[in-house]
Amino acid sequence: MTELLLTITSVAMLTSILAGARVPQLWLTAMLVSTISALASAVLVLGSGDVWDWRSAFLLGGERLHFHLDAISAFFLALLCVIGGAGAVYGCEYWNDAGHPRSARSGRVWWAALMLSLGVVLLASNGLHFLIAWELFTLSAFFLITLDRRRPEVRAAGWLYLGASHAAVLALFAFFTMLAARTGSWELGPMREHADLAPLFWLALFGFGMKAGVFPLHIWLPSAHASAPSHVSAMLSGVTIKIGIYGLVRFSGWLPVPLGAGWVVAGLGVASAVLGVAFALGQHDLKRLLAYHSVENIGIILIGLGFALVAVEQGDPAWGALALAGGLLHVWNHGLFKALLFFGAGSVLHATGTREMSQLGGLWRTMPWTAGLFALGAAAISGLPPLNGFVSEWLVFLGLFDATISRGPSAWAAIPSAILLGVTGALALACFVKACGVVFLGTPRSPAATHAHECGTPMRGAMLLLAGACVAMGLAPVVFWPAVSRAVATWRPAWVRAELPAPLFSLGLAHVALAVLAALAVWFLWRQAYRHGLSRALTWDCGYATPTPRMQYTAGSFADIITEWFAFVLRPERHEHRPEATLPVGASFAEHTPEAVLDRIVEPAGGVVMRVSTTVRSLQHGRVQSYLFYLLVGLAALAVLVLFGAGH
Amino acid sequence: MNLILAVILRLAVWLLLAPLLPGIINKVKAWVAGRRGPPVLQLYYDLAKLWRKGVVLSTLASPGFIAGPAVAWVALLGAAMLMPLGPGGTALSFRGDVLLLIYLLALARFCTAWAAMETGSAFEGMGAAREVSYAVLAEAAIVTAVLSLSVQTGSVSLVTMLSPSAGAGAVLLAAGLFTVLLAENCRVPFDDPNTHLELTMIHEVMVLDHSGPPLAAILHGASVKLLLFAVLLIQAVLPLGALSAPAAAGALVAGVLAVTVGVGLVESWLARLAFRRVPLLLTTAFLLCLFALLVAWKGGAK
Repeated sequence: MTELLLTITSVAMLTSILAGARVPQLWLTAMLVSTISALASAVLVLGSGDVWDWRSAFLLGGERLHFHLDAISAFFLALLCVIGGAGAVYGCEYWNDAGHPRSARSGRVWWAALMLSLGVVLLASNGLHFLIAWELFTLSAFFLITLDRRRPEVRAAGWLYLGASHAAVLALFAFFTMLAARTGSWELGPMREHADLAPLFWLALFGFGMKAGVFPLHIWLPSAHASAPSHVSAMLSGVTIKIGIYGLVRFSGWLPVPLGAGWVVAGLGVASAVLGVAFALGQHDLKRLLAYHSVENIGIILIGLGFALVAVEQGDPAWGALALAGGLLHVWNHGLFKALLFFGAGSVLHATGTREMSQLGGLWRTMPWTAGLFALGAAAISGLPPLNGFVSEWLVFLGLFDATISRGPSAWAAIPSAILLGVTGALALACFVKACGVVFLGTPRSPAATHAHECGTPMRGAMLLLAGACVAMGLAPVVFWPAVSRAVATWRPAWVRAELPAPLFSLGLAHVALAVLAALAVWFLWRQAYRHGLSRALTWDCGYATPTPRMQYTAGSFADIITEWFAFVLRPERHEHRPEATLPVGASFAEHTPEAVLDRIVEPAGGVVMRVSTTVRSLQHGRVQSYLFYLLVGLAALAVLVLFGAGH
Repeated sequence: MNLILAVILRLAVWLLLAPLLPGIINKVKAWVAGRRGPPVLQLYYDLAKLWRKGVVLSTLASPGFIAGPAVAWVALLGAAMLMPLGPGGTALSFRGDVLLLIYLLALARFCTAWAAMETGSAFEGMGAAREVSYAVLAEAAIVTAVLSLSVQTGSVSLVTMLSPSAGAGAVLLAAGLFTVLLAENCRVPFDDPNTHLELTMIHEVMVLDHSGPPLAAILHGASVKLLLFAVLLIQAVLPLGALSAPAAAGALVAGVLAVTVGVGLVESWLARLAFRRVPLLLTTAFLLCLFALLVAWKGGAK
């Protein structure tokens, strides 16, 4: 059955790649057939727990094709299918031929290529083929990010992405070749008994961590997510950075892990979570803000994975399984609500032509659907009950609390992690109140925002699908538990346990009660307000006479208190022109939070490399005499080495 | 059937008793100042009046302006339903319910801050910004306090966490939680509810534009939140589980009254802090909770 479904998937996806340029309808149909059948196969594997394993005699690069679909692969495959399918529908309207005659076609082809190569990465069970598919997916994503490549900032973001991705690929190349050299085969699979493979984990952590956007390797992420078309941003944030997590989960499950790896991963997770959201608070560009929240959520996922690794080290499966389950469930949850938020941001960009929050405002009037769905996504990403974000954060919290209660050495990491996870939640809430409030509420701050319009049916449909998934996973988490527990069991077969480690059913019950009561209360309060007369007047606010849009609180001022606390990392740039003299002529204030790691660490380091290279370059000037001299010196050095340096 | 009856009874306790607390605080303040003060039941009269009044909405406000207070009110009541009432236990209890409680408070905060941003006024935006920013520190303190209770009792469920006392760290925990109570309920020295509108700078500045039934929901929700924190504080500190049921109930009521009077006294004797001092005081609350956690760690039950 799985084989049939996956055959349909691959045939349909190939059709989709071929049809993308000329026949958009066929492209979309094939894409949906493909994603639905792949989703069905993933659900089949997650539901039954059977592993699908397929080897062919066909050689690629001298290696036999070998595909393997177990619960971990299927878990990520399901996410890929949902986001990929929704993104394709959304993209049909958002990046259509009429609006983007130059790039819409290539956009469709690259989308299908990205989906196919991501699917192969998830299924590949051969190191060489994994690397090939990984490189293909990196390249397809590059072409999708730079679809609108006439704009210089898009090209810059694309180059940065390509450079960072290839730094990651380099690490992965080393990882896979050393793995193959030490095991004697490119075949992948469980090899926990090879203790000598453990140090390779650090290479994987760098390579996959770069892809996942872990702080401080996230330098490529904000600009790429902000500059890409919004459906591509949703795909990048919802799926491709999760492929980095897939790599970490996959190889920390298959390979032995060095001592202390869990502590490092958890530490990186905490740093990403807190600093990611702190950077997000400093942003005034809606999509950049969302991009930094990806760093935050990757952090939450890594806290879960890190504590699972710590639990492996200490042989304490009870809370390790909880933490990992929370982290994995957050992979799904973050994929769903972050894609929803990027779709919402895309809808705003589509309607107003700007991502600058200082130009927006009051959009709920013209874009009620987008505003409502964005608000739902915002509540979900802030981890508020009764939505899905809370369920996964709750599981991670439970893991951390249990680790604390166990009073082992891990408690020393669990206590600060739990406190900082709570802080992260409160910061995310602050950030999303700011984003929703400034973009959708109040009065429009520019003519573009005044004349915005609601998006069409395909875009709205894609958003509704994701919002529905967020609500469903929040109200009935127990339905999704078997999938998570199968993935956990695949990660560490020894951790299989029959009973539910957490009272998800009670939580779901509380969530349903909360949702129903909230709906009733809203209805009741509306009715009561209407019954006694509802009139409209100017905002009162202790005597507003003639409010103007400029008198509203801005994104910068809203976040000012918190960005001030984090100024030592954020390094905000302020341009201030104070009113001076008795009759001041003018005054201005502007604040901007650049990417501190890129500007303060990577670029200076790059500058040093460039200076050294320029100095060395003067050795190469095209004079043959000098080259002959270099040869002579080299030969002499070799001769000296051979004569005196030989040890035996 | 019994369960439904218990839930209704519990709900009635929270709904009916909560508005008493602000009245008591005002009485205490009046007594210290040598005035007669408003009646203890003043908030009940206000709520009844507001409930029957019409609503004036800002021209900018979306439906979320009324939905926000409604959802916030339900979230606060939901949090109250999770909180055990001494010997009365709780309506719904499961492992990890304490985290749900913390996040329900966050949901209420999200909704009120959202509603504040609806009006497009700088003043209310300022209030919302301060509310969500200071909540970051308060959240750290609460999570730490909960961790210390967890370490003390080896549990993540409110009923078992709150029945023994907080042990040697009880004084530290009480001081920390009392400070958080003052901050989360817009009390002096963080905020000044006395002036009610123009001079309040954090919480109540967000509700300037609300009127009629939504304002009633907000005020009632605020009183439920105050009662919730008082009940949490008393149960965290006193070993109610060790007492017989009537004694425990009596101790709970007396404790809540003591906390309420304490709030009134603090309000009478202290001035509001300068704004840049607010984070310092909240950090102090966090440190107090952290020390309580360390004490629980060293001298714990296990």
